[in-house]
This record gives sequence, C-alpha cells and structure tokens, in this order.
Amino acid sequence: MKVVRVLPGRIARIIASASCIGLLAAGCATAPPAGDQAAVAAFNEANDPYEPFNRAMLDFNLALDKAILKPVAYVYKEGVPDPLQTNVTNFLANLRGPVIFANDLLQGEFDRAGNTLLRFAMNSTIGILGINDFAGEAGITGHTEDFGQTLATWDVNDGPYLVLPIFGPSNPRDGVGIVADSLIDPLSWLTPFEFRIGRTVGTAVDRRARNYDQIDDLEKNSLDFYAAIRSLYRQRRVDQIRNGAPASSTPIPGGISVVPQKTDGQQSKATTTEK
Amino acid sequence: MTGSPFKYLGALVFLVLAYTVPAQAANPQDFVKNMGDKAFASLSEEGLSQDQRTERFRGLLNEAFDLPRIARFTLGRYWRTATDEEKTEFVALFEKFVIQAYSNRFQDMSGQKLNVINAREVSASQALVLSEIEIPGKAPVKINWRVRSKDNVHKIVDVMVQGISMSVTQRDEFAAVIRQTGGKVGGLIKALRRKTGSN
Repeated sequence: MKVVRVLPGRIARIIASASCIGLLAAGCATAPPAGDQAAVAAFNEANDPYEPFNRAMLDFNLALDKAILKPVAYVYKEGVPDPLQTNVTNFLANLRGPVIFANDLLQGEFDRAGNTLLRFAMNSTIGILGINDFAGEAGITGHTEDFGQTLATWDVNDGPYLVLPIFGPSNPRDGVGIVADSLIDPLSWLTPFEFRIGRTVGTAVDRRARNYDQIDDLEKNSLDFYAAIRSLYRQRRVDQIRNGAPASSTPIPGGISVVPQKTDGQQSKATTTEK
Repeated sequence: MTGSPFKYLGALVFLVLAYTVPAQAANPQDFVKNMGDKAFASLSEEGLSQDQRTERFRGLLNEAFDLPRIARFTLGRYWRTATDEEKTEFVALFEKFVIQAYSNRFQDMSGQKLNVINAREVSASQALVLSEIEIPGKAPVKINWRVRSKDNVHKIVDVMVQGISMSVTQRDEFAAVIRQTGGKVGGLIKALRRKTGSN
C-alpha cells in the first residue's frame, strides 16, 4: 500500500549530521578505539553518539518533571473523578483526528484514513466534541499516527537517539515529525493561542497521569534509567510504525531471526473479530 | 466389570495432570492460557503477604519461563567473554532482579482477564502467542509471548508488551551498564548485586 516513496534515506542522514554540527558539538560521545571490536559494536548498536548531551538533557527533563509536571499529574490523577479523566483523554485524542487522518493518507493507508475520519465525525458530534469515544464503543477502534511514522514508512531512517528538552526521547526523524505535525494540524491554525497552550498543557498532564505508575516503576527497578527509556522508546516506535503487527525481526532468545514483514493491522483485525 | 476402579483412577490421573502440569499443555497457545489463568488466580488472591506473593511469583516464573536462556540472551555478546563463575552468578542475580522488578506488578489485578487470541509459528521450535489483557475501563493491553517448545514442554523465552520486548529492553540496559563500567561483565554483576541487595 505504499504509494508515496519520495524521500530517500539520505535526508535522515542530512538531518542527523546537521544536528550534530548545529547544537551538540560539545556533547558528542567519544567513540571507542577502533581495535576494541566488542566496544565498537556496542557503541554502534546503541546508536547514541550524543549520549553525554542526552543524559544531561534527561536529567534536565526529570528535574522539570519532578518540580512541575509530576506533582500536577498526581493531583489531577488523584483528585479528578475517573470518568472525567476518561473524558479528557478522549477529548484530547479526538483533537488529534485531523493529523492522524493526514498521516494515514500520506502513508497510503486509505482504509485507516476512512476509519479515522469516521471516528472523528462520530465522536465530534454524537460524542459531544470528542469527550466520549462513541465510535470506540460502537466497535470502531482508533489508532494513532504521526509524521515521524509517516517518514519511517517512506524509508527515512530514524537517525541517532536524541533527548529533546521538554519533549523527551526522540531522534532527528521524529523531531522533524513533531514540527511537521503541528504545521499540518488545522487546529493549530484555527484555534486561538490560549486554546493551543491549554491543549499542550492538558496533553502533557493527561499523558503523565496515565503513565504515572509505570514511570515510577521503571525508575525504581532499572539499573540504568536512561538506557531503559532509550530502549523502550525505540521499540515502541518500531511497533507503532508497524501498526502493532507483531514483529519477528527482533533478535530472539534462542537465536533465530526472521525476516520482518509489514503486515498492516493484522493484530488489530484479530482483536476486533474476537470481540 | 462395571464400576471398575480403573475408571476413577483414569479420572484421577487426568485431574492431577490437568491441575499440576500445565507446562505440558498440548500446544503453546493452551500453555499460555493455562499459565496465565494460574498466575492470575495465584497472584491476585486476597490477603497475601508480600513475601508469599514473591514466593508464588518465583515458582510460576521458573515453571513458565526459561530463565537461564533469557539471562544468556540479555547478556548478548558479553556472554562469550564472561567466565564460568560470572555466568553462574549472573544467572542467579538475574532471577533475583526479575523477581524484584516484576513481582510487585501483580498486586492489583482485580477484574483483569487474559484473552489468548491465536498463535503463529516463528520457527521449528518457537511460536508467538498473541494475547491481550482486558482491564476494566481501559484499552486492552496487547501482550505477545514467545514460547519455545521441546519434547512437548513449553517455556516462555520473551514477553512483548505493546510491542516492547522485555528481553530486548533488559539486554539493551545491561549493555549500557557494561559499557559504562569499562566493558566488563563484572561491572554489571556489581550493579545487580547492589540492586538486589546481595553481597
């Protein structure tokens, strides 16, 4: 279903090298000596040449989180009734409808685009401006897309790992995706500044509250919180790019690896028929 | 020969097999279903102390998972460079680490349910079992199990939650620790000792 295939992987490399020159010269990690093969392999596998910068940026983000976002998310999570929290989650998710729709189209996923459009229409009207996931209750479950994923389906590589201030775990491809998504989002042209600020803050609090326990858990139980987040972020993105189809490309304990196949939405189809 | 005692013996054997040896289920899919049901029932029981829950978790973990194999995988390329003593200690510490990290995640499972969807073969000895956990009031969580089967004994070698492999995450994290401690497995072992409170 890939109809558009215009951007070569070269672009990712250009973005990657530009970002190295631009902001991070001081934060580039020193590569291990070429003779130490295991160290070189490990260094390349981590694909994180700006690790010192990234670790500092994670510390910065965590400090910000502990000072502001986490306490706010806690009060929200504990103080606001659950049904109302669900309304907020639904409302914010519905606002992403146009961007998801655009990215579905850019990926040539017309069935999924139709699904997104239908959900947006149903939830914005009968679902009262999106506060109820009316479509979901009717069995039309949603999915998410963003321009970072769209670039990936155009075979743009992710580039090195990058921790962005405030935005958190990312890479050059997904960073470009964040900017592109906000540019193609009609709601960012049509709504007043105050609404956009509210939406951004709301999205951050909603997401932090929903992942509250998992983040605590990970911080408590990891040996290297930074490395754990890096691994989780990358795997999560691969899963999203594959639209949740089970990947067989990851190295398997037991030593067999299978050629990856993009089987769009197989699992989600299986789940819906199950219900 | 009506009312033969053998009839009851047969029933008894069946019951014993059905309730004590789920690891010998007919196929990977049933195996995951049985283990899941057993784990839910066992770990969500009311009034368990923390120690009791941890003990039960340890039992289930060793019954259902091929921990030594997973441990070896998470060490990646460093397995080959480790000494025999390091390997033995690492596998033992890995079990402790997993129990410490995961046993608390099963405290509140009320109303949750594991639905096994289907299974697919990924190699001659491995299958991927697709499932999801139903959580009241929330979107279901997609969980895939990589099951290795040998002589009709099934063992889980990886769990993928929403596409995130626990084994791969652990391997990446361990690799980072090893890199930061000078490329030696000894550094990771020290960190694991500290984390699990064993000296």
